[in-house]
Amino acid sequence: MKEHHMGKKWILMMAAQFSVGLLCAQDLKKAADTLFQKELNEVVVTATRNERKLGNVAVPVSIISQKTIQQAASLRLKDILQEQPGLFITSGFGAGVQMQGLNPDYTLILVDGEPLVGRTSGVLDLNRLTVGNIRKIEIVKGPSSGLYGSEALAGVINIITDKSYDGSGQVSARYGTYQTVDLNGSAGMRFGKLGVQAFINHFRTDGYSIRPFSVERSKLPISRTTPQLQLNMPLGSRTTWNGSVRYNHEYIKNEITVTNNGLSTVSNGRERNRDLNISSTLTHQFHKNLKSSLRLYATRFEGSQVLNTNNGAGYDDYFLQQFYRAENQTDINLRKNISLTAGAGYIREMVNSNRYDDKNSRKDNDVLYGFMQAEWKPVSSLVLIGGLRYDDNRLYASAFSPKIAAKYTVNPRFSLQASYGRGFKAPDFRQLYLNFTNTAAGGYSVLGALEARETLAQLNAAGLIKQFEDDYGKLASLKPEFSNGINIGFTAFPVKKVQWQVNLFRNDISNLIESRLMAVRVDNSQIFSYINVQRAYTQGVETNVKYLVGKGFQADLGYQFLQTADKDQLKKIKEGNYYFTRDENNFSVPLKRSDYIGLPNRSPHMATVKLLYEKPNQSWFVNTRAIYRSKWVVSDRDGNGIYNKQDEFARAYVLLNLSGGYHFRNGIRLQAGIENALDHVDAINLPNAPGRSFYGSITYQFKTKKK
Amino acid sequence: MKKQIKWIGTLAIAAVLFSACEKDDAPVAIDKTNDGTFKVFTEGNVTTVQNLIADTIIGLNPMGIPYGTGKFTFFSLENKRLVASTDSATNNWDIAFRGTTILTNSGTSGPGNGGAFVQVGTFDALTTISNDSTFRVDAVPNYAIPTGSGRGWYNYDGPNNLVTPLPGRIMVIRTANGKYAKLEISSYYKKAITPSISASDDEKLRNQRYYNFRFTYQPDGSKNF
Repeated sequence: MKEHHMGKKWILMMAAQFSVGLLCAQDLKKAADTLFQKELNEVVVTATRNERKLGNVAVPVSIISQKTIQQAASLRLKDILQEQPGLFITSGFGAGVQMQGLNPDYTLILVDGEPLVGRTSGVLDLNRLTVGNIRKIEIVKGPSSGLYGSEALAGVINIITDKSYDGSGQVSARYGTYQTVDLNGSAGMRFGKLGVQAFINHFRTDGYSIRPFSVERSKLPISRTTPQLQLNMPLGSRTTWNGSVRYNHEYIKNEITVTNNGLSTVSNGRERNRDLNISSTLTHQFHKNLKSSLRLYATRFEGSQVLNTNNGAGYDDYFLQQFYRAENQTDINLRKNISLTAGAGYIREMVNSNRYDDKNSRKDNDVLYGFMQAEWKPVSSLVLIGGLRYDDNRLYASAFSPKIAAKYTVNPRFSLQASYGRGFKAPDFRQLYLNFTNTAAGGYSVLGALEARETLAQLNAAGLIKQFEDDYGKLASLKPEFSNGINIGFTAFPVKKVQWQVNLFRNDISNLIESRLMAVRVDNSQIFSYINVQRAYTQGVETNVKYLVGKGFQADLGYQFLQTADKDQLKKIKEGNYYFTRDENNFSVPLKRSDYIGLPNRSPHMATVKLLYEKPNQSWFVNTRAIYRSKWVVSDRDGNGIYNKQDEFARAYVLLNLSGGYHFRNGIRLQAGIENALDHVDAINLPNAPGRSFYGSITYQFKTKKK
Repeated sequence: MKKQIKWIGTLAIAAVLFSACEKDDAPVAIDKTNDGTFKVFTEGNVTTVQNLIADTIIGLNPMGIPYGTGKFTFFSLENKRLVASTDSATNNWDIAFRGTTILTNSGTSGPGNGGAFVQVGTFDALTTISNDSTFRVDAVPNYAIPTGSGRGWYNYDGPNNLVTPLPGRIMVIRTANGKYAKLEISSYYKKAITPSISASDDEKLRNQRYYNFRFTYQPDGSKNF
């Protein structure tokens, strides 16, 4: 309750400040400074599946430029996303991204508009992606299933790779703490009409151990290699063909010693992950107002983990996911101020894994979908967008995803935008087919929903089930998870050299799929499966202030306030006499609404402060980036089944990164930096964050002269 | 905070004074210094029991499942002390503990007139046992206090291998001699410290099966506390 009030007060305060800003409007045209203007004119594609100026897009979009990535010296996608306001990097099953308080499962990750597959427990490991050849990253917040289908429930992150065929290229090398080496090379040119760009990245690290008294490494030794080839071919004046092949190979060494009741088990293993993405796009401009493109895409992710132990209890895990898609998108300009986008496609998805049963038995699904979107500009200051998409799935219920959005530019200093969208996430193969048993002490099993009923019935017939739980009765075919999301915000230039953006969001999620206890075996080990149970919401406000302090000096402040709740839990707390916690003497006391936290692993407050100085002639720069995250709940210590203030929290922290670089005129660039300068280490809750580390890098950019 | 320290201090002094005329160990109201030994002490009508050993784990079977000696620890709510297992067939004990299983001196467990049920609420809020409440008796494999995660008095978190007493669960107990008591379990771990989720399985298993609880026994036979 207290938090609620605080949130409201804060919003009121901001609104008041903002109206003062508007009242003292002076020189309207000069207000939007050139740098801001440049940004607003930047073209984005993810929000509408069409090229639109950022300033004309009605949904919350942010862009991370190549320069920002380079100056932050990011290596993997995780490194740069963790510096964005409102995004938090989670650390179970690789690095995932939490957007608007929603789990990594609900953010669609695209490379040049095509989805990546190979999630583990719903998490797509952001470390799999190098940022060496990224031209920019577009982040769209709010449900975008109306355009992109499943997974685009919290939002979409689209990585747009560099496609230069102009004879330019670069090589770079970086070395840092933990023997971390990152090498990049790229070059692009035209052979006749055919544009060819080749890129390769190699990354390796020794990993590190941040657990005291342990030889076990928090981060394992890893090597990754990513080559990519991009092709461009104009076929006549109206037709273009683009092709891309990307491959990523990842190898992780794993040596661990587990001690259980005095018995030590020594294990050594390896994990190998391979991604392949192939795409082909043919675009034809039939008429100046009619463009159509045919996209073919194939991707596969193959992961295998082998662990050998000295007690014979090894581990062998295999996972192969394949995804094929054919899609047509047609864009029509009906009139000067109305444009239509329509499309349809077919997806075939296949998975083989010994997590389900036999790795030779293939699970598959087919999806047929169609979408449509209309954009209307009744007057130049108003953009209205309406769209919808229908996904027909063979394995589970279909999904219908509408979206509407509007942007109104009141004056050059102030624009308002609002959007509503419905998002969905289809049940994944794990939730349908998983068959996993942990044999460690207190062993348990997790069964996919499609086969849980049958498997449990068989176990029961064999006399192996001691008792069934209430949730067993709820086992049914899974439905997609749905969300209704609203985003309302504004962009303002309240005073000269200042840009201020605010976005209020609320996501109401239903049918959330959760693993629940279904039965207990006679040996007391537990069996879980998946059912649609939860209803939850996430809501909050995100704000960003950019201030051009002086020539070359820029300050950037970001902040997100977040509240979440499981609606059924909230209802029971309000009814009373259902949830209890314990006081400092371990005595039971009723749980108060103000003690309720909501969903776990979420920080109510997150902030970023970035200061950048760049010499106006761009010869050198220095920057500092501080990322703050308030404490977050990690476990249900009092055993009451929900998360409250009496539970276990991870400590709040500030991640401080510094970097600086010098450009020589001959194309050589030197850069050095410190990451996690404050040395915040939390081995349990932040296993992906090493202590303070240092690096230096050298880059050579070249451009051949045209003959 | 200061007020609280003062309050604890007063209680501690009172406890020390009180203990002078008691035969038991030196009782302290909130004994956070207890090194893990079994202690019983009474404050007014509330008796606190610390570190009651309930068949601690002595090994793992070949399947990796922990086991103890299999013996119950018997306790008398009336006399506020342990009862020898040789007295298991008498009315000298009221409840017994082994792992997460709790017996009442009733039905298949003993000759007594015992029984129990679990009530949702707080210890202090339970002032009267309502007349329409039903006491269950032990009838193997079902017990008056149900076993199983989320069914009786505890929650078992399988993936993290931790047992936590459910907050807000009060055991209403009828003793062997037909008197009434209310009982709240506060911890299943030694020193009443639940290991962190990140602790080793070894640590989790070594420190479990230590009961910490408090109870009020009504000697006059009424259902009021």
